[in-house]
Amino acid sequence: MSSFTLTDMNTSHTSRRHFLHSAAAGSLLFPGIVQQLLADSADPLSPKQPHFPAKAKNVIFLFMTGGVSHVDTFDPKPELVKGHGKEIKADHPEIKKRPGYERIYLKRPQWEFVKHGQCGTEVSGLFPHLATCVDDIALIRSMHTSHSNHYNAVLGMHTGSFAQSRPSMGSWVTYGLGTLNRNLPGFVVIAPKQTYAGTQVFASDFLPGAYQGTLVVPGAEPIANVAPRVPTNRQQLELAALRQVNEEHIATRAGDPLLTARIQTFETAFGMQMAVPDAFDLKQESDATLASYGLQRGQTTGFGWQCLAARRLVERGVRFVELIDTGSSGNWDAHGDMMTHAPLAKNVDQPIAALLRDLKQRGMMDDTLVVWTTEFGRTPFNNTADAKGREHHPWAFSSWLAGAGVKPGIVHGATDEIGLRAAVNPVHVRDFHATILHLMGFDHHHLTYRHAGLDFRLTGVEESHVVKEVLA
Amino acid sequence: MKTLICLLLSAVVSAAAEDHAFFESKVRPILVEHCYDCHSGVNSKGGLLLDTRQGWEKGGDSGAAIVPGQPDESLFIRAIRYHDEDLAMPPKKKGGKLPEADIASLVEWVKMGAPDPRVAEKKIAGMNADEAMGWWAFQPLAKADATKSIDDFLDVKLAEAKLAPAPPADPHTLVRRLSYGLNGLPPTAEEVEAFAKDPSPGTHAALIEKLLSSPQYGVQWGRRWLDVVRYADTAGENTDRPLMHAWRYRNWVFDAFNRDLRYDDFARQQLAGDILFDKADAKQRSEGIIATGYLAIARRFGHDIDKDIHLTHEDVIDTLGRNFLGLTTGCARCHDHKYDPITAEDYYALYGIFSSTRFAFPGCEPKGQPRDMVPLIPQAEADALMKPWLEKNAKFEAAKKKQLTAAKSAGEAIAKLGGTSSKVLAESKIAEGASVPFEQRLRVRKGEVVQLAVSPNESHGADTTLIEWRITETEGAKRSWSVAELVPDLMKGNPHPSHDGAAWCFLETTSAPAFLTDKADSIDGNSALQKWRIGDLPSVLVNSADQQVMAWTTLAAESFFVHPGPKRPVAVAWISPMDGEITLSGRVADAHPHRSDGVAFELKHIAAPDYGSALSQLGTSLKPTAEPEPMPLIPVAYAVAEAKPKNDRLHLRGDPEKLGDEVPRRWLSILGGETVPADAGSGRKELGDWIVQSPLAARVMVNRIWEWHFGKGLVPSSNDFGSRGEKPTHPELLDWLAAKFVESGFSVKAMHRLILSSAAYQRASAAPAAADPDNRLLAHFPRRRLTAEEMRDSLLTASGQLDLTPAEVHPFPAEATWKFTQHNPFNAVYDTNKRSAYLMVQRQRRHPFLSLFDGADPNATTAARQTTTVPTQALYFINDSFFHAQADALAKKLTSLPDDDTRITEAWRVLFQRKPTAAETQRTNAFLAGYPADTDDQWAAQVRVLMASNEFLHLD
Repeated sequence: MSSFTLTDMNTSHTSRRHFLHSAAAGSLLFPGIVQQLLADSADPLSPKQPHFPAKAKNVIFLFMTGGVSHVDTFDPKPELVKGHGKEIKADHPEIKKRPGYERIYLKRPQWEFVKHGQCGTEVSGLFPHLATCVDDIALIRSMHTSHSNHYNAVLGMHTGSFAQSRPSMGSWVTYGLGTLNRNLPGFVVIAPKQTYAGTQVFASDFLPGAYQGTLVVPGAEPIANVAPRVPTNRQQLELAALRQVNEEHIATRAGDPLLTARIQTFETAFGMQMAVPDAFDLKQESDATLASYGLQRGQTTGFGWQCLAARRLVERGVRFVELIDTGSSGNWDAHGDMMTHAPLAKNVDQPIAALLRDLKQRGMMDDTLVVWTTEFGRTPFNNTADAKGREHHPWAFSSWLAGAGVKPGIVHGATDEIGLRAAVNPVHVRDFHATILHLMGFDHHHLTYRHAGLDFRLTGVEESHVVKEVLA
Repeated sequence: MKTLICLLLSAVVSAAAEDHAFFESKVRPILVEHCYDCHSGVNSKGGLLLDTRQGWEKGGDSGAAIVPGQPDESLFIRAIRYHDEDLAMPPKKKGGKLPEADIASLVEWVKMGAPDPRVAEKKIAGMNADEAMGWWAFQPLAKADATKSIDDFLDVKLAEAKLAPAPPADPHTLVRRLSYGLNGLPPTAEEVEAFAKDPSPGTHAALIEKLLSSPQYGVQWGRRWLDVVRYADTAGENTDRPLMHAWRYRNWVFDAFNRDLRYDDFARQQLAGDILFDKADAKQRSEGIIATGYLAIARRFGHDIDKDIHLTHEDVIDTLGRNFLGLTTGCARCHDHKYDPITAEDYYALYGIFSSTRFAFPGCEPKGQPRDMVPLIPQAEADALMKPWLEKNAKFEAAKKKQLTAAKSAGEAIAKLGGTSSKVLAESKIAEGASVPFEQRLRVRKGEVVQLAVSPNESHGADTTLIEWRITETEGAKRSWSVAELVPDLMKGNPHPSHDGAAWCFLETTSAPAFLTDKADSIDGNSALQKWRIGDLPSVLVNSADQQVMAWTTLAAESFFVHPGPKRPVAVAWISPMDGEITLSGRVADAHPHRSDGVAFELKHIAAPDYGSALSQLGTSLKPTAEPEPMPLIPVAYAVAEAKPKNDRLHLRGDPEKLGDEVPRRWLSILGGETVPADAGSGRKELGDWIVQSPLAARVMVNRIWEWHFGKGLVPSSNDFGSRGEKPTHPELLDWLAAKFVESGFSVKAMHRLILSSAAYQRASAAPAAADPDNRLLAHFPRRRLTAEEMRDSLLTASGQLDLTPAEVHPFPAEATWKFTQHNPFNAVYDTNKRSAYLMVQRQRRHPFLSLFDGADPNATTAARQTTTVPTQALYFINDSFFHAQADALAKKLTSLPDDDTRITEAWRVLFQRKPTAAETQRTNAFLAGYPADTDDQWAAQVRVLMASNEFLHLD
């Protein structure tokens, strides 16, 4: 069996996880043949140590597509309410030379903010469930980004690069840490639809393809080609024959690691046919758990499904799980009417709150980092005070962290009094990335990959800093 | 006198010594501690270096940092005094303002004249000047020593390393290696047998010739070139628009390899084929234009791609540097190259050449339609083709206009007839995605009209709207009319005659009623979709198919729709054939919810008995204007053309809004720096000449050819011959090959003959040796996995489904129908049984098969394919439907043979081009016997095993 085990054996829960990992390490196809995959250093996905001991071993990255309005969700601005209709001036990228936007006026949020929890963090009425979790959250109200287009800002939030394609953060983390369960991919993206910039948001780009995100589309076959086309007993015969053919082939070609690795992948793949459906088989969950995520028994779609699947994947050793709530249309991009935020918030609110509580109950918050973000905020103004919508706003937005290594129940940074600029302790997307890598045990300067003669890193060449204030 | 001189001299000397001491004790420590972090070596924030005298003399973006002797005039001093908020150094996060004593020392130092012993070595951008001038890759090529061979060079190093070369590969291995290597396809068993019978150098050479003359050679080697130039079939901007005409460049590349176009001309034509063949015959001229697709396929960026055109130019300059020169020229966009002798001026000298070039425009979200495609026939010919059509079309347009004017005044007259007799029966707004029912009972007289009009709401919104509407007599025969009856034959007329003398009219009702007179018998080529319209909108349309159609929205089966224009309502009017009571029932539903504010409808009774007949009369008098004849197809290429030549200005720190000095268009200074002559146009033609005259061009290309045969180049970093790249393992061999290449007239096929006849190429493969784990000395041939394309083509070959004819344009949707946005980008995967090099490749969405098996990156030059081995690949060989289909097809052929022994022999012949061993036959028989299924399924399973095997997918 694998040398990898979890240390804490005190709870029945951790022993279950231990079992899952251990089962993953052995060969399901040829019981009794112990695979040395996890110990194989030539394997690009074998587990690796980060730069320094870290609390977070896994990440659940919740991405809200389209630009969530900060002033309507996590960033209360009484002055904006008071100043509703007041004309302001701003050299804003979204209104420059735009007909009809010569004059702009403050626009009040549509939702009330109330203090919650011990910490008293204010959250708007859009997130009634999440509001009950503020004591576990480090909210950053001073996020800002470098672009006001969806495509570029979404790419930037995922790769640190706002124009060129670059490896995704999930790829960097998997590259740095390897994976714990070879029957499942190390980096999984669960998205009902593709967000802006398409597959580039989870691409490994110049990092080896082993670190690419595997896309799961909620539904019948979550990962391509995972559903067996022939009955298991026949498939076993085929794979045994294949192994024999390959072993004979390699007998005269000893010592070729690529040939060996390929033989091994068939055993992993065989296991994936069971491990993947098992990971996504929510039937195994109790009624209470399903209900907490807002799920009906048998349901295989919806953000609740995505959240619960994420917990099950992390439980099984998947390093980086990204959940994207919706696609490049019908999302938070509320130009027309802010009220479209309501159904989108409702879609994610209860599931995320359930996920946080579930992780906590199971002791998984201790080694799992939960990140919630969007690509940019929305303007606290519009070209008429009565405009129902808001425009793209790269100058300020809110994101939050929770779980392993994160200081709970705090608010970091602030926008100015109308939510226009990240004014106190601004956190750029690059700083956000540096912080996430830090929580995973990496110095972002030194998690590098040599490509085309240069050492690349997630945070790029421009300056970036770990946001120390959000660390526990 | 002598004494005096001595005294003076010693005073000078001692003053210098004092200055030196002051600098060392007071100045240097401050600079090192507080400034070097950001302003030394490769770090030059704001463009400023403070680690040499030259650094502060030149200064940064704001000009010279120090004026010796004048502290108050020196930006450096102003900065450390925190004089201006914008220019306060060191910045707060780097420790903030210096202690007063330090500031005083630095002021004193500047007052002294800023003596500074730190003289920079002469540098060209990131490289010491002497080193740059002597850099191995820039040196001219010597004549090739005719007495030498490839093996001479390799054997020396092998002997030095005391490595024994592997024995020659067996004929079977060698034929497979050659066949895949040159054509990307497996050999036939017959080819292997023929070679095995007579493995002489003559047979070897004949096989090479056969493979080189196959049209499949160009597909295989052309695809490798497409890797290097990051070819894709979409533009890569936010909507990832299809490039309808890029395929011509792709096929030109394949053809160029097939006819062994000289590599220097191959390069020149890609940069300037339009200029080179401007006066040539029609065929050459057309080919020249197509070749410049190389430039046009550059990646496009952002929402409005014109705004980010500097990034497209960077993509061109960066790719061109890497693919032709092995230089990372793109690194000099924001600042001088940090490691190589390429300055930012060099970059903007090239930039001017491309900003003097007009790139075909693929369209983008705010500028929808493509433009600036380059016609492939001379203008006169294009004009001659267009003229009859334009004339016909002008007549058509004139007639249409006349008719519209007449119809308009008639419509106004009819509107008056309606006058005060109109009564609104029902009206309602319909929210996004909503459906509103209606039900009315009323009395009508013959000739009166009931009209249902749909208009957009306040937003620009014009929207597809579903209408269900039935009219039923309440008494007598209880006859009934419904818009459903219009669905099967909407095109029958407008007015559309109905039974018992009733009629339907399709109208625009913005002011007076106007008939929709333009017909469209099909939409997007789908004849189940038909419509009446005026111009594009408003329109009345049907889906007559018995299933829903995914068009711009999902159109329900057998349904009737109207589509208002922005602020232009559209109506369906029913002319009553009788007097009596009727009921109206139905619903109006938004059929295209997309975040606008929906539509509104109005159901109206026009109780004037002469209204209907006037309407009907007007409608009948209008001739439905048929669609104009399709415009003649002028063949065009996605290519470039000359624009107004101009020099560009430096973009300070790469920011196109911060312009520096103008830079004349010229060649890279380290390679000669020749300027574009004043009368030369953009300078692309000259650039092509400079590139191919540089020794880098031949070195880089022979290195690629070598890499594509041996898996690794003599310079392993085949896109980087600069200081960050790797040095050649066999420099003399590289130069010898490059010289041979030039002497052969830049013949790529000649290089193949040379390389493939070497002993090194013909060696057996083996596991890595400890002494040379990366096999850089080539003691054996490196085993490799098939590339994604080779793998798929091999599966198709084995199944007998491979179609070897060239492909042309992809089945993209017609340009006129494009409505791609960043919210709904183009997204498609097209199946084909043609060679995989013809698969449609998107920039924003990786092709699922190609990305699974390490296909080329469509966004950046790919010098060599990676080989990753991941379980999701194995899943493909277990469960993928395409894979299963190929296995089934071969199994079917096998089971048509008489017995298992024959089948086994045939399977091995097709898949491995060899005879099965006795053990293999025995094992296969055992597998078949033990597999619980019928013969067909047994064989399908056996074929899957063989097709998933390492032997099938690897080359020794």
